[in-house]
Parts: sequence; structure tokens; C-alpha cells
Amino acid sequence: MKCAELEGLICDYVEATLSAVERQLVEAHLQSCEACRALVRDARAALAFTRKAPPVEPPPELLTRLLFLVPSHCDPGAAQASGARARVAAWFRPILQPRFAMGMAMTILSVSIVARVAGITPRQLTPTDLHPARVWQAVDDKVHRVCERVRKFYLSLRLVYEIQTQLHEWSQQLREQDAAAAARDSDAPVLPSRGPESNGFPLSQDQAEPKAKGGTKQ
Amino acid sequence: MAVHSMTLPATILRDAARATLAPTKRLADRVASSLDQDLPIIERCLKGDEAAWEHLIKSYTRHVYALCYRFTGSGSEAQDLTQEVFLRVFSTLRSFRAGQGTFAVWLTRLARNLLIDHYRRSKLQRLSDPLEEQLPKLEDQAHAASRTDHLLAGREASEVLQTALAKLSPELRETAILRDLQGLEYREIAAVLKVPEGTVKSRLNRGRAELARTLRRYGVLP
Repeated sequence: MKCAELEGLICDYVEATLSAVERQLVEAHLQSCEACRALVRDARAALAFTRKAPPVEPPPELLTRLLFLVPSHCDPGAAQASGARARVAAWFRPILQPRFAMGMAMTILSVSIVARVAGITPRQLTPTDLHPARVWQAVDDKVHRVCERVRKFYLSLRLVYEIQTQLHEWSQQLREQDAAAAARDSDAPVLPSRGPESNGFPLSQDQAEPKAKGGTKQ
Repeated sequence: MAVHSMTLPATILRDAARATLAPTKRLADRVASSLDQDLPIIERCLKGDEAAWEHLIKSYTRHVYALCYRFTGSGSEAQDLTQEVFLRVFSTLRSFRAGQGTFAVWLTRLARNLLIDHYRRSKLQRLSDPLEEQLPKLEDQAHAASRTDHLLAGREASEVLQTALAKLSPELRETAILRDLQGLEYREIAAVLKVPEGTVKSRLNRGRAELARTLRRYGVLP
């Protein structure tokens, strides 16, 4: 018997599940074939080592995860429904998922907010209101109104009012200071505001004379 | 349906908290008896029976997880793949035909196909990682476990075996796992892999021999 023909029996020989006749056949071959003897020796050793390994235990949380997955895939009505009803149910099944319901609710909410901002009320809606120009006009009008409201609200804030008042006062003071400085500059050569000694220099003869003359008149 | 969807998660979570896996039973035993055992459960599952789904999951989680873990060598990957297998079961259970084999074989084939897909997907990633970075870690793990007296405790043996299995080609690895660790019959393995029984035996011989050589290199076999 050739090695290739014996290959199928070696598995069973290693596992000791062969009949007596087959076992004798294999053993007879093994006595004359070193390669097959090595194969049997290796297979036995590997099998013995493999059987020493304890069974693998899945973590408990895996079972919880798997059980939690059941509801989204287990449809109790599917098996009972039949015919047209089943087809209709199959059509609507994806839509009836909670995620789609939530998405739909959010879409309706968004549309209603936009419609409210645009000034569109469904009860008074007519086909002409859906004309793009009309919609644009309504949106533009509403945007301007909202902007104006925001501006008024902003200006009526106490903090803004106080800052504005303070800025106004400061600018007023600056203007007064500028005006006073300008007036000083223009009047200084004719009417000195201070006495002649105030600049630190003694009065000249010509400057002192009118005073003396005035004093003699009186 | 809405009521069912709203109440089911709470029930399942409560039950899952105290749930225990089905008693250990060789997959081969389940395969042999699954014609009688699983078909009524599957019929109930198809009718949307929540308890039947729970029973099916509890019965096969251990087997699917063990197969995934032994093939990938990673606990987290095995968990993800087990979940993927059951998601596939949920969506394709209707395609199971009782006349074309047992449910256990159908499930094992489904898991094996997903594992091969995963192996191919992750092949590029493995190729991009330098082999020098992977091998020392695995072999150090194996050599650390080696003993001069060639005796290893169960847990250590399991880890070394895992490292040695990772050295086998996917064909030899899956055959060795299905036969020596999962305990399937040759005809069942042939049905899962869709190859003749002779090919299964040939792969098994080569897989066992290669495994022994690797274990000998690690010093855990004389």
C-alpha cells in the first residue's frame, strides 16, 4: 500500500477509531515507512497537546450584547403576515424603525421652524404663496424684521446704554477741551491771562509805563 | 410590533443579567442531534419567538466564539466576529434549508466564511505591519511558556496552542480547529468547507504535523 492511499486511514489510526483489520494494515505499512511513522508520531503529539487545552469561554458581556441585538432583527409579525399584507409590511418596515421616526420628527420640526421664520402659516397657505418670488419676498421681509428687532433689543440693553452714555460724555469733554485750547491759543497775544511776572521775566520799560501812567491819572 | 420593540430590550437585559450559557456540549453531539433539537427552535425563531432566539443564542455562542477565537487568536476580534455571525443569522435564517444539512453545519459554514473574509480583509494590514514586529512578540510568549519537563498547565497550553495555530495556513488551521477543538465529524467538516472528506483528512494530517513541529520548536513537545 502506498503512503497516499494510507493518508485517509492515518487520521483514524491516530484517533484510535480504526477497525482491527485496518489497524493491522496501517501498522504493517508503518513498519516499513519512516515518513509515515514520523507523520503518525507528530499527529499524535499535536492531538494530545490540543486536547490538553481547556475549552474557550466567551465573556459574559458578549451574551448580553447578542441578546440585545435580537429585538432589532426579530420581527414577530413577519412570519404570520402573508400575501399583500406581508408585502405592504415589508415596504413599511424600514420606515417604522425608531431611528426613522426620530429623523422624520426632526425634519418636521426643522421645516416648521424655517416656515415660522419665513412667515408661512400652513392654515393661510395658498398656491400663490409657494411661488419662489413670493417665498423669497417673505423670507427677505422676515429677515429684515428679525434684524431690526435684534438691533432694537441690543440698543435697549442697559449695559449698551451705559457704555454709549459714557462714550458720549467722553467725546463731549474732549470737544470742550479742544474748544478751550483753541480759544486760549487765539487770545494769548492780546490778552494774557496771567500777570506779566508769571512768565518769569521782568517787565520792560515800555510795558511798565502805561501802568504807571494810569496810576497817575487816577 | 411597537409594543414588542419597546418591551423586549428590558426583558432581555434582565434575563441576560442572570443568563448562563448552555452547558458545555461538544458541537459534534449537537450536530448529530440537531435535526431533532434545532428545527423546532428555528421554526419558533422564524415566527418571532423571543425565547427561541435566546435559546439559540445561548446554545451556540460558546461554539461560535471558540471557533472565532481559535482562528483569530484575539478576544476582541472574536467577540466582534461572533456578533457579526449572529447578525448574519438573524437576517439569513430564512435561507436555511433543513434538507441541506443541519443547522450547526449551516452556522459553522456561515462563521467560517466570515472568518475567511476577515482573514482576507486583515491580510493587507498584516502585510503592512513588519513581520519582525509581530514574530518576536508571539514567539517570546511561546518560549516563556516552554518548560524543560514539557508539562504545561491548561491555560498556558491554550496560549501556546493559540500561537502555534496562528502559524498554520488558513486551510490547515480551520481543519484542525474544526476537528480537534470543535469536534466535528469528517463529513461535517467536509460539508462546512465544501471539500471531499479525503481532502479534510489530508489537511488534518498536514495541519497536525505542522503544529507538532511548531510546538517542538517552542520546546513544549519532546
